[in-house]
Amino acid sequence: MILSDSSAPTPSQSESAIDPSQPATIPSTTPERAAPSKAIGAFGSTFIAIFLAEFGDKTQVAVLLMAAESHQPWVVFAGAAMALIATSLVGVVLGQWLSQRLSARTLETAVGALLLVVSVSLLWDVMLGS
Amino acid sequence: MNWQLLGLSFVTVFLAELGDKSQLAAIALSGNSRSPRAVFLGASVALVVASAIGVVIGEGTAQLLPTRLVKAAAALGFAVMGLRLLWPAEDFPPDYDEVE
Repeated sequence: MILSDSSAPTPSQSESAIDPSQPATIPSTTPERAAPSKAIGAFGSTFIAIFLAEFGDKTQVAVLLMAAESHQPWVVFAGAAMALIATSLVGVVLGQWLSQRLSARTLETAVGALLLVVSVSLLWDVMLGS
Repeated sequence: MNWQLLGLSFVTVFLAELGDKSQLAAIALSGNSRSPRAVFLGASVALVVASAIGVVIGEGTAQLLPTRLVKAAAALGFAVMGLRLLWPAEDFPPDYDEVE
């Protein structure tokens, strides 16, 4: 059925079940994948941030000590690599879980606070000279 | 394959990293990103490369990069990222939640 033009400016009251204050055309789902350039940017910035934070950290020192003592450095490296991938996965899944439950504003505040915690923790290491 | 050594190094590193800086950073970067797979890959590759450098170079890592300077730079970077998120709370467009 084709609606006539005259019906357009006066929407019928029978459709008032839809709240008029709510925009009807908001997509309910977020896109699953971001644009490739965004993904490359996220990869690069994450790599640089975490590499710099982790370089010379206690984990790296522990890995090199275990590797040197065991005389089987690549077995130690394999175990360490799997553990690091596992903890990254846990972190990323936790972050996504939080991002789906918090509002955008709360999330920005929480993420900002968490990044400052990381910063202070790094500065603490610098002060201790490790 | 020395499974005991493999398991020992896995458990040691897993427990050391749980709740540590890099995992907190992974939580923050992932929570703020639309590309969780890219964040996961970036974090994993960074950590694996860092520990591979540790295994290959051993005690020489401090000569390769001055670790305190690197850490101070990383601390500055994380502080800037965090402050940029916390600072302009009023700059949100009214429909921010829908737009992003």
